[in-house]
Amino acid sequence: MAQSGFDRRRVNGPSESFQPTFDDGLEESSDLYDNWKLGEARRKRHPGDIRPIFLQTGFIKQANGSAYIETERTKIACAVYGPRQSKSSSYHETGRLSVEVKFAPFSSLVRKVPIRDAEDRSIANLVHQALASSVRLDTLPKSVIDIFVTVIECDGIESCVAAATVAASTSLAKAGVEMLGLVVSCAGAVVGEDVWLDPNEEEARLASGMLLCACMPALGVTTSVWQTGRVLPAKALLSLQLCQDRCSDIHQIVALALHED
Amino acid sequence: MPSDCLIPGQPVPLPRGPTLQLGSGVYTRNGETRASLLGTPQFHGSTLSIHRVKPHPPAPNSVVVGSVTRLSPQQAVVSITVVDGVPLPPGEDFTGVIRVQDIRATEKDKVRMGDCFRGGDVVKGLVISLGDARSYYITTARNDLGVIFATSEAGGTMEPVSWQEMRCPKTGKVEKRKCAKPEGL
Amino acid sequence: MASSSDLNAQIFQRLHPRAYLERFLAEQVRPDGREAEEWRDLFVHVGSVSTADGSALVRLGDTTVVCGVKAEIAEPDLEQPTEGFLVPNIDLPAMCAPRFKPGPPSEEAQVLSDRLASTINATGVLPLSALCIHPERAAWVLYVDATCINYDGNAFDAALIAMVAALKNTTLPKATFDEETGRTTCSRKIREALPLKRLPISYSFGIFDGSTVLADPTAFEEPLLDASISIVLDEHGSLLSTGQLGIADKDKMSACVTAAKERYEARGREIYSF
Repeated sequence: MAQSGFDRRRVNGPSESFQPTFDDGLEESSDLYDNWKLGEARRKRHPGDIRPIFLQTGFIKQANGSAYIETERTKIACAVYGPRQSKSSSYHETGRLSVEVKFAPFSSLVRKVPIRDAEDRSIANLVHQALASSVRLDTLPKSVIDIFVTVIECDGIESCVAAATVAASTSLAKAGVEMLGLVVSCAGAVVGEDVWLDPNEEEARLASGMLLCACMPALGVTTSVWQTGRVLPAKALLSLQLCQDRCSDIHQIVALALHED
Repeated sequence: MPSDCLIPGQPVPLPRGPTLQLGSGVYTRNGETRASLLGTPQFHGSTLSIHRVKPHPPAPNSVVVGSVTRLSPQQAVVSITVVDGVPLPPGEDFTGVIRVQDIRATEKDKVRMGDCFRGGDVVKGLVISLGDARSYYITTARNDLGVIFATSEAGGTMEPVSWQEMRCPKTGKVEKRKCAKPEGL
Repeated sequence: MASSSDLNAQIFQRLHPRAYLERFLAEQVRPDGREAEEWRDLFVHVGSVSTADGSALVRLGDTTVVCGVKAEIAEPDLEQPTEGFLVPNIDLPAMCAPRFKPGPPSEEAQVLSDRLASTINATGVLPLSALCIHPERAAWVLYVDATCINYDGNAFDAALIAMVAALKNTTLPKATFDEETGRTTCSRKIREALPLKRLPISYSFGIFDGSTVLADPTAFEEPLLDASISIVLDEHGSLLSTGQLGIADKDKMSACVTAAKERYEARGREIYSF
């Protein structure tokens, strides 16, 4: 249900509108996992397979760095501006990284009312956490680097955060911001006994727990781990390992994209 | 892109020989030298660095170009739009100030702001320090620094006559400015 | 790697934009190499956003606008019981150009949304009665949301085409209203296209220095213009509306109408042919 209070800065619709309800009684159609039962195998992909990544850099010429990433139905654009003069009134010796994430209203099945909410903020924080330790902010006193992410289409929120992190790190490299290494990220869904990497929206709904991992494969270090839901410790460690292994592959893809100037 | 272009985090292949000094764009971790920028490592004498010609913030000793936005007897506020020869993206700028004691090298106590800069003048300067939270400190106390472009009261583009005067081609009138020595002279 | 003469040109452009543009126009060319009345390439791609009921991606040169249509159901307005709602909005986020800051819609975005909404309504793209499911009880609300992901001038033309193309790409599930339960149920299987009446195309121009007409201005040219003129034609090339912001000579408007029609003849027919 979309309940938009009157927003004098936008063209407004009716004060209340509802998502359509369908004759099959289901809230969302599950085409791929129709009649799937717990314990059955993943469909269409192997558990360790991630969706093919399309990564293109430099499409926003006015931005210092930019990247567009597409993994089947997830489509994200990212732009890096700066280092810019910080508007802060206090002098700071190390630079600051500012991440903003926006979801297009049509990016998910339920329309997102374009008011900035807690979800945008928490996703921006996840991306920030993944990137912050990789940027040499000590080389940028008084400056701020603005990273803007727009999600055009989202198929699985955790995979979406992972893709946004990859796009942001790629944009930072193109922008000439000094970094210790490239950051790539991967999500893993715990479904029954298995771990399915890069889960889409349907698969995320089937999972009992989720792990999101970001790392710098060039240095062999992890920059951020985020776990939600119910995951046994042994499963969490397994997911972490699987994600990290897959991250080296993603790192190769980013390196290729960066070399194609 | 050349095949020796490195990505951030990639180890830099070092030639054998005397230990190198590290410049910008590279760093050391656990004894290994790695790239921190996307680019090709270059050697200037014994210093190893990676350059990327991208807009970047001013640093001490950066050569900057900007326009004068505000004047007071104590300082000229400049909107910096070019740093080390690289123009900033449209709409982006850094704020710098030229304090009255940093305008000229000689006779510093005799300087009058109105005889040096006017609003709208395009000035070339050198960054002395990071300054405070709001502005970088800039100096024009060198022959090649100062006003490089100015419009006269009549609206014409003035030409430098000496290091402290410019002439309007329309009216022939001379106005006082702290001029930069034109290149090639 | 930019040569030093490239950088010098860029520095000049940054410090003296007006003089920079004047120098080019004196040579009968614009900074991006186009002639005064030349248009950038237009690229329209529909249906790529699966979460939307209809979508379009439009590129006009580097200016890129993505538009998605989401359909929801609401009670009709008391005053218009047999009509649905069409709600167009455009977002100019901080990512699309250095001058936009994060936060609520800027004045520029608000003005643009307003212009797009009034153009879509005034030109009769979709009769709102076609969105009625059951008089007084249920009607469709079409949220037509556009986002600019790369701004290089003339967002209006790109966004209007994106919105209209997204509407043309939209299908709605067949909806039935149950009088007894008061609820609307939609078919999962049957989807219908919208009965669009008109497909408007906008052609915008900028007036520089009072006299030069520049077709399809870029982000660099826009702040240097004295006025801008938009000509809206329908999918057959007939004039639907004209608009002007700023001061320009009277003869400029008719010059723009002629130029718009010429551009339509060259490329207009293919825009919505998908």
